[in-house]
Amino acid sequence: MLDVRNLTVRYAGLTAVDDLSFTVARGEVFTLMGPNGAGKTTAFNAIAGFVKPTAGNVFFQGRNIGHMAPEQIAALGIRRTFQNNGILREMTVLENVLTGLELSTPSSFWGCVTGWPASTRAERGATDRARAMLRQMDIAALADRPAGDLSFGQQRLVEIARAMVAGAQLIMLDEPAVGLSPGDRLHLGQALRELAAGGITILLVEHVQDLVMAVSDTVLVLNYGKKIAQSPPSEIRDNQDVLEVYLGHG
Amino acid sequence: MDEPNMTTTLAAPARGSARRIGLLVLLALLCLLPLAINDYLQFVTNTMLVYCLVAVGLNVVMGYLGQLAFASAAFFGIGAYAAGLSMVYMGLSFPVAMVIGTACGGLAGALVGLPALRVRGYYLAIITLAFGELMRWVYVHADTVTFGSGGFNVPAITFFNAHIGDKGKYYLFLATVVIGVGATSLLLRSRFGRAFVAVRNNELAAASLGINVNRTKVIAFAWSGLITGLAGALYAALNGRVTPDTFGISQMLMHFAIVMIGGLGSLAGSIIGAVLLTGLPELLRNFPGLEEIVFSLLLILVLFLMPKGVGGFLAGHIPWLRERLYREGKDA
Repeated sequence: MLDVRNLTVRYAGLTAVDDLSFTVARGEVFTLMGPNGAGKTTAFNAIAGFVKPTAGNVFFQGRNIGHMAPEQIAALGIRRTFQNNGILREMTVLENVLTGLELSTPSSFWGCVTGWPASTRAERGATDRARAMLRQMDIAALADRPAGDLSFGQQRLVEIARAMVAGAQLIMLDEPAVGLSPGDRLHLGQALRELAAGGITILLVEHVQDLVMAVSDTVLVLNYGKKIAQSPPSEIRDNQDVLEVYLGHG
Repeated sequence: MDEPNMTTTLAAPARGSARRIGLLVLLALLCLLPLAINDYLQFVTNTMLVYCLVAVGLNVVMGYLGQLAFASAAFFGIGAYAAGLSMVYMGLSFPVAMVIGTACGGLAGALVGLPALRVRGYYLAIITLAFGELMRWVYVHADTVTFGSGGFNVPAITFFNAHIGDKGKYYLFLATVVIGVGATSLLLRSRFGRAFVAVRNNELAAASLGINVNRTKVIAFAWSGLITGLAGALYAALNGRVTPDTFGISQMLMHFAIVMIGGLGSLAGSIIGAVLLTGLPELLRNFPGLEEIVFSLLLILVLFLMPKGVGGFLAGHIPWLRERLYREGKDA
């Protein structure tokens, strides 16, 4: 599904991601971990097209996406969330989810301004799809609430619904558990496992250990931009290099 | 997570019906209005209609797209000059001239949208203001075409060779405003309108959803120019005269005040702002010396008490007045 090969990102002499390679299979929950400044979010941004790689390639379903713009990558079925500010705060929950259908609503500009039946049907159909997604995520009751008024946990679910609604095949979540209560983390973990069970691939950047251990199939640990370990979560906690990075042993 | 709020969901169709009925009643009253007012009030009402379109055009860029752009006086002037000059030089009928003014406004809007791809905030404000002043310089100095600083008279509007007075213009303007505002409302309630607001909220998040941020900005500016150009064409017909001084900074400030008082990101607010700011000075004209003071105090009070403008204030207190960015589907 996703194949990252020798990905390197440098900023003015600083190597943020150094020769990183990994592959993610369909329906896998793959987590990038590491201490602050390890290069997780930079790698994430390079995969999503927000940062241009200095070297290396990113393949999605066999297609090189390493130099595509974010909106082109989104059109291929990759959606991402943001650590703090991905929600469109001034829009309602329903409108947020509808923005996820930008690329799959076949309404034309002139069709919209003239109220042309085909465009009207497409717009109404998009609203129905967005409402169905809200029901699926169990947040239909929030449809008319401004997204900025929701709790962190609810905002995360809205972001995931927005990513899912257009049929995303790979969802990239940047620290979704930040600021969540234990109950909301549990809810989020269950939602992620359900998505993976449905064949959706999840690439996660996360610090919160209990969530990582509960949902991940594979964990990759980065330090100073380099991969230091990659294995199932049950093995990662016993890895000597990982313990050294996190606990300073050795 | 929250308990389901079924009332919100079930109320949606009723909300839509109430809004539609309200609009139809308002339209019927507006159709009857010329029967109840004199010629002077008719002229004021026609001016209000022109500024309704101006406010809607500026609000698309400033309120919905969130760009600090001050080119609306320029679009207004371009629409007025293009429509007026095409009538003078080519002898075109007003409906055709109106289309030309609208198209020129739209082209100018798309052109002004290009700098918005590179700069924002105060820099964009300065660039767009400069564009307005540049256009005014052109009107004055390209006098072989534009008739220079003295401006020109716009030929009278006729219908089957019969002169159309202010009451006739009123119905023409009303129909144009209904179409212009209606089309803008449909645009804002589509994926294009949602893209405008998404870009205003968070450009990065918008791009990650597949929204082409650059294209979205150009579309919003072009639509803003188109609607404001249409208003300019109506303005030329209303006054029968077009002069460069009409389209300067003070005109721009007037547009800005209308949108701020009415409410950024509110179509209803745009109309309320236009009616208030074109109507109030006329009401206060009977109180010489007090006119400016009362007007300024009212502006300050409204902005102090209603930071989101009159439109935002009303939408905050009457939920069904809140403007949606989508067309309701079958599942509402």
